Amino acid sequence: MRRWVSLALPLATLVIWQVAMRFEHPDFVMGPLEIARHFGEALWSGELLPHIGASLMRSLPGFIVGSLVGVVLGLLTGIARSLDQLLSPVVFLTYPVPKIVFLPIVMLWVGIGDVSKIVVIALACFYPCFINAYYGARGTSTIMVWSGLNMGARRSQIVRKVVIPSALPLVFAGLRVSLALSFILLFSTEMINARSGLGFLIRQSESSLRFDLMYVAIVAVAALGCAGDQLLVLMRRRVLAWQEATAR
Amino acid sequence: MSARWPDPASALRRVALIAVGVLAWETAARSGLFSPLIVPSITRIGYQLWLLATQPESLVEAWYSVARGLGGFALAAVVGVGLGVLMGRSALAAACFGPIFSGTYPIPKIALFPIFIYLFGIGSLSKVLLIFLECLYPIVITTQSGGRAVNRVLLWSAANMGASRARIVWKVVVPATAPFIFAGFRIALPIAMIVVIITEMISSADGLGYLVMYSLASFKTDRMLAVVIVIALVGVALDRLVVRLRNRLVFWERLESYYAE
Repeated sequence: MRRWVSLALPLATLVIWQVAMRFEHPDFVMGPLEIARHFGEALWSGELLPHIGASLMRSLPGFIVGSLVGVVLGLLTGIARSLDQLLSPVVFLTYPVPKIVFLPIVMLWVGIGDVSKIVVIALACFYPCFINAYYGARGTSTIMVWSGLNMGARRSQIVRKVVIPSALPLVFAGLRVSLALSFILLFSTEMINARSGLGFLIRQSESSLRFDLMYVAIVAVAALGCAGDQLLVLMRRRVLAWQEATAR
Repeated sequence: MSARWPDPASALRRVALIAVGVLAWETAARSGLFSPLIVPSITRIGYQLWLLATQPESLVEAWYSVARGLGGFALAAVVGVGLGVLMGRSALAAACFGPIFSGTYPIPKIALFPIFIYLFGIGSLSKVLLIFLECLYPIVITTQSGGRAVNRVLLWSAANMGASRARIVWKVVVPATAPFIFAGFRIALPIAMIVVIITEMISSADGLGYLVMYSLASFKTDRMLAVVIVIALVGVALDRLVVRLRNRLVFWERLESYYAE
């Protein structure tokens, strides 16, 4: 019964949308069936794949570098007090700044190519990962650390066996936010200036009135976002099997 | 340690850090290794900041950005808190709207901007609605999880003392959810600022995001950096405002070290 209610609203939306297409409507509105057909065609003709590849070549390096640096620095900052006093004020002061404003500056320094986009994406991914890893490491139960010390564990062992496992749930929460952010920044940087990629495709097909291609690119963006998120959820379930799956 | 007055040692450290950063930038600018177009000196950026602060037309640009951001955010706050409380307290509402929100959550809504431009025009409306859409998700999700976690004993005692359903929601559920609601606001407000700047960079003739792109295109790097500083300050100021408001309204539970000093 619950499952039917959950399916009802999305399905009803799609059906009403499709039926509404029978009435007169402007060119830039398309029904779901039409979009699905165009999507299949674009995928089949190979028009879409190079753009997806170009987008992933920008977002994945940015996400990996930014989140890796963020998690490692966040954990270290959570563990070592000297680093905490040095780094946390800078990070927390600059955290509410919208990272996209650095795109023009980075463009000046490293050029308007892919590197500037990767740098901005990495910068944006750094913050949620750093903050979550920081609080994850600081939230380690002191009793666990004490018992580890009591049983003769070395410092490195305590970090590896106590601090990191207890910080992992928050680290994954940070990774999830970063992944969503990396997609937002990817498409906005591509919309601002690029010669390839899905953001560019949306922008170009919009200005050349190819609305079919625009919708195809938007659907591809949505699919990429969902696929990345699901991949992360699966990974989390694998790594955190010992923790009961409370997260969605 | 209060949120208003950080202790002198940490304040001093912060000032020292900023001073070191400024000094490093200035030496790089004066060294002659870089073109002044790429690393303009602090004095020139400061002069542009002064111009920005004193010229009424640039203040209007800042006002456009802030008004768009806050407008979309306020709309999302009203709708999001209503929906979130409803979904947190009613199984039917959760079953209806839950899958839509969790299913479309990872989709970057910014991709819909071109469609929004066609539907709502290239003025402020398309930007405000996109901000509304992006801010709605974190607010709904955090409010829902807060609404679910309301202490059952409080609800029972209120019902026992004869409070009506509406009164229970207003007097028990909303105050108990308030810390979660503000956590959602704190995630949503920087998102609102990001989306304002992005949409103004992509297509606009006014606002701070437009000013950044315009200064860059006319090779006024010092002016561009001054605008970037203004945007950063606006972001920090809005965040501080939400924390102050939260500590005023949710006075029984102070926000301590979370994301703030």
